Amino acid sequence: MTWIQRLFSRRRIEADLSEEIRGHLDERIEELVSRGGVPREDAVHQARREFGNVTLIEEQAREVWRWRWIEDLFSDVRFSLRQLRRSPAFAVAGALTLALGIGANTAVFSVVNPAGPYAVSYPNFFDLRNENAVFDHLVSYRSAPMSLTGSGEAVQLRGEIVSWELFPLLKIQLPLGRGFQPDDEDPGARTVIVSHSLWKTTLGGDVGIIGRTINLDREPYLVVGVAPAGFNFPVGGEQVQVWTTLAIDARSATVQPVTQQRGARMLSVMGRLRDGVSIQQAGAQMNRIAGSLAERYPNENRRYPGTFLQSALGDVVGLARGPLLFLLGAVGLVLLLTCANLANLLLSRTAEREREFALRLAIGAARSRIVRQVMTEALTLAFLGGIAGVALAALLIDLAIPLIGTTIPRIAQTSVDGRVLGFALTLTLVTSVLFSVAPAARLLHDRLNDPLKEGAYGNGHGHGRFGSALVVAQIALGLMLLSGASLLMAAFVHVTRRDPGFQPERLLTFSLGVPDSQYPRARQLEFYNQLLERLARVPSARAALAMPLPLTGSSMTVGFDIAERPAPPSARPSSDIAIVSPGFFQTAGIPLLEGRGFTDQDDSGHPPVLIVNRAFSDKFFPGATAVGKRIQSGALSDARGPQMREIVGIVGNARQSPLGSQSEPIYYFPYRQLPWCCPSVIVRTAGSPASLESSVRSVVLSIDRQLPLFDVRTGNQILALGVTPVTFLTVLMVSFAAIGLLLTSIGLYGVLSYAVVKRTREIGIRIALGASRSAVLSMVLRRSAMLVAGGLIIGVVGSIAARRFIGGMLFGLHGGSPLLLLCAVSVMVAAAWLATYLPAHRAASIDPILALRSE
Amino acid sequence: MNSGSAENRDLFPGALEMMILQILRRQPSHGYALVQHIRRTSKDLLQVEEGSLYPALQRMLKAGLVKTRWEVSPTGRRVRTYEITTRGAKHLDRELSNFERMLEGINLVLAPMKP
Repeated sequence: MTWIQRLFSRRRIEADLSEEIRGHLDERIEELVSRGGVPREDAVHQARREFGNVTLIEEQAREVWRWRWIEDLFSDVRFSLRQLRRSPAFAVAGALTLALGIGANTAVFSVVNPAGPYAVSYPNFFDLRNENAVFDHLVSYRSAPMSLTGSGEAVQLRGEIVSWELFPLLKIQLPLGRGFQPDDEDPGARTVIVSHSLWKTTLGGDVGIIGRTINLDREPYLVVGVAPAGFNFPVGGEQVQVWTTLAIDARSATVQPVTQQRGARMLSVMGRLRDGVSIQQAGAQMNRIAGSLAERYPNENRRYPGTFLQSALGDVVGLARGPLLFLLGAVGLVLLLTCANLANLLLSRTAEREREFALRLAIGAARSRIVRQVMTEALTLAFLGGIAGVALAALLIDLAIPLIGTTIPRIAQTSVDGRVLGFALTLTLVTSVLFSVAPAARLLHDRLNDPLKEGAYGNGHGHGRFGSALVVAQIALGLMLLSGASLLMAAFVHVTRRDPGFQPERLLTFSLGVPDSQYPRARQLEFYNQLLERLARVPSARAALAMPLPLTGSSMTVGFDIAERPAPPSARPSSDIAIVSPGFFQTAGIPLLEGRGFTDQDDSGHPPVLIVNRAFSDKFFPGATAVGKRIQSGALSDARGPQMREIVGIVGNARQSPLGSQSEPIYYFPYRQLPWCCPSVIVRTAGSPASLESSVRSVVLSIDRQLPLFDVRTGNQILALGVTPVTFLTVLMVSFAAIGLLLTSIGLYGVLSYAVVKRTREIGIRIALGASRSAVLSMVLRRSAMLVAGGLIIGVVGSIAARRFIGGMLFGLHGGSPLLLLCAVSVMVAAAWLATYLPAHRAASIDPILALRSE
Repeated sequence: MNSGSAENRDLFPGALEMMILQILRRQPSHGYALVQHIRRTSKDLLQVEEGSLYPALQRMLKAGLVKTRWEVSPTGRRVRTYEITTRGAKHLDRELSNFERMLEGINLVLAPMKP
C-alpha cells in the first residue's frame, strides 16, 4: 500500500479497529457473565479495567499507520479550526487584527520595495558591464515615450530603451521573432520588439510583422520580435508597448550623445547573478568597480564611489525617502500593536482554557503536545490573517496607486509580487511565533494542575500582570501612532495651504511628442514659434513654453560656476534649471521682482542671459542682488562649450517640486538660447481651461498632423497631483492611527473585562458586604487609569523621541507643536475611557446573589 | 495506564510478534482469542496486554505479515480474523532461528555460572 492509498483507506482502517476493540470488550464481558457468573454491570467495569484506556490504545494502534509528525500537525490544525469556529468572536478579532497589521505592512513594503539602484550613466554602465565578473547579464533600461505614426492618428506609446541582453537576462523566449542581439546596439541600428497587445491591436496581429518596419518618432524601426502575451518590463509598471536598444541614445541629438556623457545619470540597471555568487560578493565587486570609476573620473563620479547594490529601502531617492521611512515606522508600530493585541487575546483564551488543558494533562496528554496545539492555533490564525492581509494589501495598493501619482519614484511599478508575498509570509510566521510565545511560555511554567484543584476559579494572576504590561505597551504604541498621524495632518494642511508661487487657476498645460529626429534644432525652433503664434490667435488665450513644468515633480539639476568665485569642478554648486519662453512668467503668474524678463531678442544671436528665482539669489549671492552677476552653466546649447551668462532678472519662488522642504533655488534659460527638446506648453485662458482643449488640439494638428498631444492637464489638476503623496500618506497614516486606536481600545477593554469576570465572585461579596456601586466602579476605573497613565507616559516620551528623529523629513515641517501631541493624548484618553466604561459598568451592576450562586 | 507497565511485561522486542505469528501459523484467530490462547498455553505465566496487542497487530498488518477478514465466530459474533501471510511465515522462520541462536548464546554465557 502506498502512503496515498493509506491516507485514503485510513477511515476504513480506523473503523475496523474501533469495531474490533468493541468486539473484544463484548466478548470478555460475555465470558465474565456466562462463565464467572459476574453481574453484567460489574463485568462491563472489569472488562474495561483489564483492557485499559481504550481511547489511548486505539490512538496508539492508529498511530502505527501515521506519518506521525505531519498528521499531528494536520489534526492540530483541524482542531484549531474547530476551536476557532467555536469562538467566532475571538477568531474574527484575531484574524482581522492580523489582516490589518499584515495588510498595512505588505502594502507599504510594496511601495518601498520596487525602488532600484541609483541612476547610472551610459559610460559607467558600459564599464560595469565589461569589468564585472559576478553577473551573467547586466542590463540598463530607461523609459522613453515614443510616437507611433503611419497608421491613422499618431499614438503616444510607452517605450523602454534597454541594452541588448534584456531577454537573455529574463530568460524569456519570444513567441514570434527574436530577442535583441549585440549588433542591435550599434549606433545606426533601429530595431524594436513590440508588446503582444500592441501587435494584436494597433499592428493588426499579422505574423508577417517580423521584418517589417514601423515608424517610431517618425524613424523606421525594424520589428524583430513580439513579446509574449502578458509580458511587461519593467515588471509591475504600466504596460510598456515597445522596447528598443540603446542605439537610439548613441545619436548625437545634443552636443554629445548621452551614451558618452558620464555625468548623465539616467539609467536603471538590473543584473542576474552568476551561479554561486552571493549578493554580498556581487555588491563588493560592484563597489570596487564603482570605486575605481570614481578615481578615474573624479569630476563625474566623485559623489558615487560605490553603493550600486543597495537594499531596496536605501535606494528610495529624494523626497520620497522621508515619508516612506515614516510610513515604515508607522506600520512597524501597527504590527507591534497587532502582536501585543493577539498575545493578549491568546493569553485570555489560554487562561479560559486552563481547565481544559489541565484535564488533558491529567488524562495523559504530553505537555509539549498542548503547547504545540496552542502554537498551531496561533499559526492557523496567523495564516488566515495573513491571507486576508495580503488580499487587503492588494486592494490597498490598487486604491493607492492612482491616488499617489508619479511623485514617488517608480511608484507605478508597485504591485503585490513574489517578493512581497515572501515578505508577508515571513511577517506572518514571525508574528505568530511572537504572539504564541507568551501563552505557550505561561503553559510551560505554570503548574497546570492547580486549576483543577481550585475548583471553577483560576486566579489569573499571571495573565493579569502580563496582560497589563501588554496593554501599557499598546497604549504607548497607539499614542505614538496618533501623534504621527497628527503630524501628517498638520503637514497636509501646511502643504495644501502654502503658496505655489504661481497662479494655477485657468491654466491649461500639455506636452507634445515632438521627435527630435524629425525636428532638428532649426525646425524645432520654427515649430514652437509657429505654435505660440497660432495659439496667441485663439481668443483670450496666452501661451508659453516651459521645461519642466512647475509642480510636476520632474526636475533637471545642472552644475554651474560663479564668475566671481570660481571653484574646482568637483566642488561646483548646482541647482534646478528650467527652460522657458519669453511669455512664461506672465502666463504662469510668477511675479518679476527685479531686473527684466526674457524677450524675443534673447536668442542665439544675442548675449547669453539667465533669470533666477529669489531663493537662488539669496543662496548664492547672499546680501546682494543677483542681477548683473555672471555664472557659467554646464547646460550646453551647442558645440561652443559652456558660456558665461549674465543674470538679468529675479522672479518669485515658484515651486518646482510640489513637496520640497523649502523653496528650491532655480535658474531659468530662455528657450531660444537653449532649445532642448521638448518643452511643454502652458496656456492661460479667460474662461474654463478644460473647454480650450479642443481648440488647442486643432491648432497643434494644423501644424503637424502626426503630433500626439499628451498629459493634458489644468493648473489645478497639476496642483492636486502634486500633493497626492501627502494626501495618500495622510490618509494612510490616519487609518493606521485609527487601527492602532481600535487595537489599543480592544486590548484595554479585554484586560479590564477579563479582570472583572475573574473577580465576579469577589465583587459580589464586596457588594453583599455593603460596598457601594460607586466604590466598585472606581475600583475598575482606578485600574484602568493606572494602565492608561503608564502607557501615556511612555507614549509621550516615545513620541517626542520619534519627532526629533523625524526632524525635517516631512515636507519642511519640523517637529510639530506640543499642541498636536496634546490632541493625540486627548484622543487616546477618550478612547481609553470608552474602553473602560463597559467593563466598569458591568462590574458595578453585578448582582451579588447571582454572582455567588453561579458557583 | 501508562507506558511503564507495558515495558515491564514485554519480554523483549519482537517476542509478542513472534508468538502471535506462531499461533496464527497453526490457525487463524481474532484478537480476543489470541490473548486467551497465550495466557492458556503459557499457563498464565504471560499476560498479554491489549495495550500492546492491538498496536502490534496493526504494525504487522502494515508490514504485510498478516492479513485480516471479517468472519462470524462459532458463537455468532462478528470478529476480525487474522491470518498469517507467506511473508509473515518467512519472517517467523527467520525470527525463530535468530531467537534460537540468541537463546543458545545466552545459555552458553549463563551455563558456567550454574553450580
